[in-house]
Amino acid sequence: MTTLNDIKLPDNSPTVLLLDKHVDFIQKYGRSEDDYEFGMTDYLRMSGMYWGLTALELVNKLHCLPKNEVIEFIQKCQDAETGGISACIDHDPHLLHTLSAVQILCTYDRLDAIDVEGVVKYVASLQQPDGSFTGDKWGEVDTRFSFCAVATLTLLKRMDAIDVDKAIAFVESCKNFDGGFGSRPLSESHAGLVYCCIGFLSITGRLDIVDRDTLAWWLCERQLPSGGLNGRPEKLPDVCYSWWVLSSLTILGRLHWISSSALKTFILACQDTETGGFSDRPGDVADPYHTVFGLAALSLLGHNSIKPVNPTFCMPQYVIDRLELKPQMLQ
Amino acid sequence: MHGRVKVRTSEEQQLLKQKEQQKKLIAYRLGMKQILQSRKPDSYDPECLGICAQLLIINPDIYTLWNYRKEVVLLEIKTSNKDEDGEEKLCTFLENELKLTEQCLLANPKSYSSWHHRYWVLVHHPKANWKKEFDLCTKYLSMDDRNFHCWDYRRLILNKVGISLEDEIKFSTDRININFSNYSSWHYRSTILNQENLHDELKLVQNALFTDPADSSAWFYLRWVLSHSNVLKEDKEELLGSLEQLLELEPNCKWIVIAKCWLMKNIYENTDNSIQNQVNCYTRLKELDKMREGYYLDCQKTVVDDSETKE
Repeated sequence: MTTLNDIKLPDNSPTVLLLDKHVDFIQKYGRSEDDYEFGMTDYLRMSGMYWGLTALELVNKLHCLPKNEVIEFIQKCQDAETGGISACIDHDPHLLHTLSAVQILCTYDRLDAIDVEGVVKYVASLQQPDGSFTGDKWGEVDTRFSFCAVATLTLLKRMDAIDVDKAIAFVESCKNFDGGFGSRPLSESHAGLVYCCIGFLSITGRLDIVDRDTLAWWLCERQLPSGGLNGRPEKLPDVCYSWWVLSSLTILGRLHWISSSALKTFILACQDTETGGFSDRPGDVADPYHTVFGLAALSLLGHNSIKPVNPTFCMPQYVIDRLELKPQMLQ
Repeated sequence: MHGRVKVRTSEEQQLLKQKEQQKKLIAYRLGMKQILQSRKPDSYDPECLGICAQLLIINPDIYTLWNYRKEVVLLEIKTSNKDEDGEEKLCTFLENELKLTEQCLLANPKSYSSWHHRYWVLVHHPKANWKKEFDLCTKYLSMDDRNFHCWDYRRLILNKVGISLEDEIKFSTDRININFSNYSSWHYRSTILNQENLHDELKLVQNALFTDPADSSAWFYLRWVLSHSNVLKEDKEELLGSLEQLLELEPNCKWIVIAKCWLMKNIYENTDNSIQNQVNCYTRLKELDKMREGYYLDCQKTVVDDSETKE
């Protein structure tokens, strides 16, 4: 017989938001070049910076980091030839890091710092004849990259650069029997990829493609007795799925299908009371990735000390408003 | 960082660990610098390729290093075209690339980059052994039948080996019989099933449900099977009857109650009796499954609203 794959929250778990500790955690994270964790993760630096900076801005502390250094770094990471942006200097351009860089610059309101036309050209060059996108020139196809492509181009207001209808047809071909989406046609549904596809359809205004209630039911069944959410049936809960599942449910207008209070308890229990930051599950090592998604999920749940976050872009809502973007959301 | 448990250590242990980490960090940076500075369009340094392999075995997510290796592979292909026994040399070189991805995947079976590199190398391999690759997939899936990377890879290989759908249906039945609680197998089945005759399919899923009613996988699959218009009415009625019996044995199993609602709506549409039964079921579900109360409330409302519009 099945025993449910879940965890038990420790008795002494934190129950309030340790805001100052999280600010401290993110600020310290990039400060020492010789820090081991930081040094060994240069291959995902640009996304790491987006996670850290967004986390800080959601709690109104973005000014704690040196803006000019960040912008200079992004400039150095843009590849003059292709226009794409890399994770860090001397690494190769990639769509994941291109989106992260554009998101950071939008938050700073400094898109003028890079060659925007170069980015547009890069993104467009990655679209395939079937409408899908590769992550870079080496050919890996994934719906994550479909999301990155339309998110980047929408933030730059240059959706005219790609074949949007074909891009939509590809994402639609990734829809599964359970209403969810996977990384490629016929691939199993996974909450992270569900977010990418729902986000994609929200940006392209085609949420009519979704089997709304079939998918929302599958999503709300991700909540486990611990209150946490998993990414696929029978898997363990993880703070990052609080974001992938919750943002999708929000866009589908079905946030009330899960227990907000139980999820909040779970997320708060994943805070590290010593170092600050959030981990995937209580007692694990904290990192910026789980910290931003923990905070963003608490924002969607209406936590009053966190700024409202946009569920499609995972950026502060006021930035999306400033850009006058209105990604589709169902009521 | 996923699933990395925080360990408490003494100050002494911590200092020692820090020293070791500093050594590793310095070695990593030196290695990266050497490789990235050696990149040239027309030649490569075999020593750097060796360092690159070492770094990838430690961390296969350093995507730029895989790109570097692909550039080297393309150079090797170019050279092999000029040489008489070039193909043989190339094959040996590519087999080594495959071995490297295997090492990386054993350490980290979820590495997107390693899976992609492996497929990319095989596509460029003049004597790619797809059959062997396919058998390897079968073996990996028997070790972890939820690894979606491996399932996706299997689908790519399938096109190359010419395996029939019947064979794959049998494979998925075998996997399901080994472990009913395997959502990945059920999903795979949904993509290859011949949907003309669903009588046997309903029997298979029913068998799974009755073996382990608490497991969610087969219930999701059941919902999908029932959504087909060609499921026979007598099959649905028989299933509903069996679920009533199962509920007597497992009165607190929410899945049985949910499935009863699907079936009642499906078979009897909106007769007064069926509406009242569904409303009662959703009331029971709200008690059984507090977390999803909002969902059941909406379902209940839909049942009532639908019946009113019909009147």
